[in-house]
Amino acid sequence: MNMGKIDKAFAELQDIVGDRATTSPIHRMAYSRDWSPRYRGMNDLPDIIVIPNDTQEVVRITKVAHRYEIPLVAFAGGTGMGGGAVAWKGGIMIETKGLNRILEVDQQNMTVTVQSGIIIDVLNNELARHKLWLPHQPESKRACTIGASIGCDNDSTFGLRYGKISDCLLNAVIVTGRAEAVRVGPRKVSFSSTGYKLLDLLVASEGTLGTITEATLRVVPIPEAREVRGYLCRCLNDTAKGIERLLGSGLAIESAHANCRNRLHFYTHSYREKYGREPQLPEWAAAILFLSFAGDEDIVAFTVDKATQIMTDELNAQLVREQELVEGWWDSKHRLEFIPFKQKWPDSQRQKKFGAADLGLPIGRLEEGYRRYLEIAEKCDQEILGMTIYNESPNKATASVSFAVFVDDSSQDKVHQFYQYVREMSEMAIELDGTMSTYIGDGDRLGGFNQLEHGPGLKYMRRIKRIFDPKNIMNTGKKFQSRWIEDHKGVT
Amino acid sequence: MMKGKSLNDYTEDIYTCNRTRCGFCREQCPVYHVKVYETYSCRGKMLVGRGLIEKTLSPSVEITQILDRCLLCGLCEARCALNNLDIITSMRREMVHRGCPTPVHKGNVERILEEGRLLDARAAPERDGQFTLYVGCVYRSKPRELATALSVLERLDIHPLIADETCCGYIVEATGFDKEFEMIQGQFKKTYQQMGAPEILTLCPTCTATLKEKYGLPVKHAIVAVAEQLRKKQQAVKPLGFRATYHDPCHLGRMLGVFDEPREILRHLGIQLVEMENYRYFSTCCGGGGGVNAVDPDLSIEIAKNRARDAIGVGVEIITTVCPTCEPTLLRAAGRLAGEVGTFVDVQGLWDLLDKALD
Repeated sequence: MNMGKIDKAFAELQDIVGDRATTSPIHRMAYSRDWSPRYRGMNDLPDIIVIPNDTQEVVRITKVAHRYEIPLVAFAGGTGMGGGAVAWKGGIMIETKGLNRILEVDQQNMTVTVQSGIIIDVLNNELARHKLWLPHQPESKRACTIGASIGCDNDSTFGLRYGKISDCLLNAVIVTGRAEAVRVGPRKVSFSSTGYKLLDLLVASEGTLGTITEATLRVVPIPEAREVRGYLCRCLNDTAKGIERLLGSGLAIESAHANCRNRLHFYTHSYREKYGREPQLPEWAAAILFLSFAGDEDIVAFTVDKATQIMTDELNAQLVREQELVEGWWDSKHRLEFIPFKQKWPDSQRQKKFGAADLGLPIGRLEEGYRRYLEIAEKCDQEILGMTIYNESPNKATASVSFAVFVDDSSQDKVHQFYQYVREMSEMAIELDGTMSTYIGDGDRLGGFNQLEHGPGLKYMRRIKRIFDPKNIMNTGKKFQSRWIEDHKGVT
Repeated sequence: MMKGKSLNDYTEDIYTCNRTRCGFCREQCPVYHVKVYETYSCRGKMLVGRGLIEKTLSPSVEITQILDRCLLCGLCEARCALNNLDIITSMRREMVHRGCPTPVHKGNVERILEEGRLLDARAAPERDGQFTLYVGCVYRSKPRELATALSVLERLDIHPLIADETCCGYIVEATGFDKEFEMIQGQFKKTYQQMGAPEILTLCPTCTATLKEKYGLPVKHAIVAVAEQLRKKQQAVKPLGFRATYHDPCHLGRMLGVFDEPREILRHLGIQLVEMENYRYFSTCCGGGGGVNAVDPDLSIEIAKNRARDAIGVGVEIITTVCPTCEPTLLRAAGRLAGEVGTFVDVQGLWDLLDKALD
C-alpha cells in the first residue's frame, strides 16, 4: 500500500471522525483475522481503522477511499468463516459496530429499523420488551450484526419457518463505492414488483458493492411455547423425507437440523459436561434429526405428538427418549447457555480449528454427498468433525450442509490442504447439481473459481460490481479473486 | 502461592481464542462498549497477545495503555473456558518486565512498598475483639464509612479484632508488578498468617478475593456474617420500604460467589428488590475495577454511567451495593448522568441501609 496515500487519507478521516480513526499497529492487529483458517504468522492488518456512527460519516469515509483509491473493508462480528472481513489488500477497515442504534420499532406494522452494526442478540433483547423477535438467528448471534447477516447471507436456526435474513429484510441503506447513500427495497412491505430487486443484490454481496448502514426488518411475535425433539433416522435422506412429509401433513415446524453421529459430539459439550456421560445412540442410527415446534402451548403439544407419530410410523425413526440430550443440543445450538466457568466449548479448537465446506445439495443426494465428503476429507488429510444439514427455506426441506473438519493451522501447507478440501468439495457440489456455498460466501476463498458454478453469469456479476464500485475499492480481493484456489484451469 | 505464568506460557490458550473467535466476551465488555475498538475486548487483546508472542508487535507504552483499560472484572471469563484474567495480567507483567510500566501504577506500588498502604489512612480502628477483621486501604481512608460498618457489626454482636495491617497488594499484582507483589506478600504474611485466625472477616470485596486466592487465607466478607447473624437472631429492623436494585461487585459476586446474602439482607430490611438486566454472574462492572479509575477516570465514569442507565432502565431510583469502590464510582456517574438525562438514580451502600434499619 502506498503510504503517502494512506497518510493523506488518515488525516482526512481524522477530520471526519476524530479519534475514531487509528493507524496504530496494536489496533490493526486486533482486526487481523476473522474465523477462517489461517496459519501461524498469517496476519492481515488493515492500514487504518475507522468507526463511523452514521450513514453520512460512511459517505464521507467512502469519498476519501474513492479519492485515494484505497480498499474499504467492512468489519462486523468477526466470526465469518470465509475471510470476507479480512483486509488482505490492506486499506481502510470500517468498524461497523459504531452503527449500533435502533432507529424505530414500529409495533403496528411489525417492523424494526436499525443501524447495520447492531448485534442480533442485542436487538432481540430490545425487541423482547415489545414481545417481538427477529427470527433470523445465526449461531454467531452474540457477535454477529444485522449488516453482516445481510452481507454474508449467513445461516439461521429458524430457517425452516422464517427463512434467512432476506426473508425478513424489507429495505436497506447502502453507501456504494461511488460514495452515494441509496435506500433500496420497499418501505414497510415484504414485496414489490416495480423496478429491479436491488435489495436482493445486497444479500451475500460481502461488502463488495458498498457498506450497508441501515436496514428495516420484519419482526414477529415471540411464541408462547417451544418444544424441541430429536429423532433417530436410519439414513440421511430420511431426514429430508421426514421434514417434507411433516410439512405436507399440514404441521408447522419451526426449525429442523440433521446431524451425523460425528457432528452430534460437537454439539453436545454442555450435555456431556452436565451429565458426565456420552450420548448413547443405537448402531443403526445414521443421523439424528432435531425439530423445534413453537406457538400456542396446546398447538405445540398437538404438533409434537403428531410429528412423532409420523416420524416413527412412516419413517421408521425413533424418538430420542433422553430429553436431556435434546436440551443439551439445543443449549449449544440456540440458547448458547453454558454453565458459567465450566463450559468447555472452545476446547474443541484447542489443537485444531473448526473449518467447513458449506454446500447446498439437492435433498435426494445427501447420502451421496456424505459418502463423497468422507472420501475427499481422507484424500485431503482432513480430520472429520461431522455434518449438519440446515433447513433454511420457509416450509420446504432444503439442504444447506456444513461438512466440517478439524483444520490443522500449524503450517501454511496444512492450511492449503484445507482449502484443497474446500475446492474438491465445491466441485462435488456442482457435480451433484448443488452450490459451493450456502452461508459462508465467497470471501477470499472462492472468487474466480466460482465461475464453475456461475459460468458466463460471473461476467455479468463483474459488470454489476463496476456499476456500484467503479474504482474497485469495496472489499477488494473478494468474490472475484481467491488467495487460496489460484489454479482455475478448466474453470475460468 | 504459585507465581504468575509468563505470556508465552499462555500461547496455546491465546491461539485457542484466536481459532475460536466466538465473540461471546465482546459485546458486554463494559470497556469495549464505550470504546468500540475490538482491541479493548478480551478477544481483541488475545490477538494483541498473539502479536507479542509472534513478535509482530513490540512492547510499547501504547500496549500498556490498552491493557490498563481492562477492568479485570471477569465478565469475559464468565462466558469462556479460558482464564482470561490470568492471561491479561500476564500481558501486563510482560509490559512491566520489558520496560513499559504505567507511571501512576508504578507510583502506587512504590508507595505501598514504602508506607504499607495505597491510600492515606484517615482512620485508626485498631481494637481487640472476637473476630479478626481485615479493613483494607480503601476503608481506612474513609472514616465515616468504616465507622458505620463497624457500628453495624457491633450492633449485631460481631465484635471485630483489628490489627495494624498492610495492603493486600491486589493493585500491585493486577497491574503487573509481580516482583514487588512478592515483597508485599512478605510484609502482609508477617501480620496475618502468623495470627492463625480460624477465619478473617473482610470489608472490601477485592481484598477478600486477594486474601483468599493469593494468600490462601480463610476469609469471609463481613456482609455474609451479617446475613448469618440477622438470620440467627431473627433481628427486628425498621423496614425501609422502598424499591431498589442491587449491583453485584465483581469480586464479591462473580469471583467469590456471594450473590444471595446481600439480597437476603435487602429483603430483611423491607426493600423491594428489582433486578437489573445483567446481574449475579453476568453483572457488569461499575467502572472502578482493575486500576482503570487511576489511569482513565473519564472512561471509568462512562462505564459507571452505563451501569446507572441499567438501573434507570428497570425503573428504580436507588442502587445499593456493598463495595467501597463501586459505591463512589456509581454515585459520581449517577450525578453526571442526571445532568444528561434528567433522571437521578441514588446510590446507597448496604452498610448505610443496615445502619438506618437497625437504628
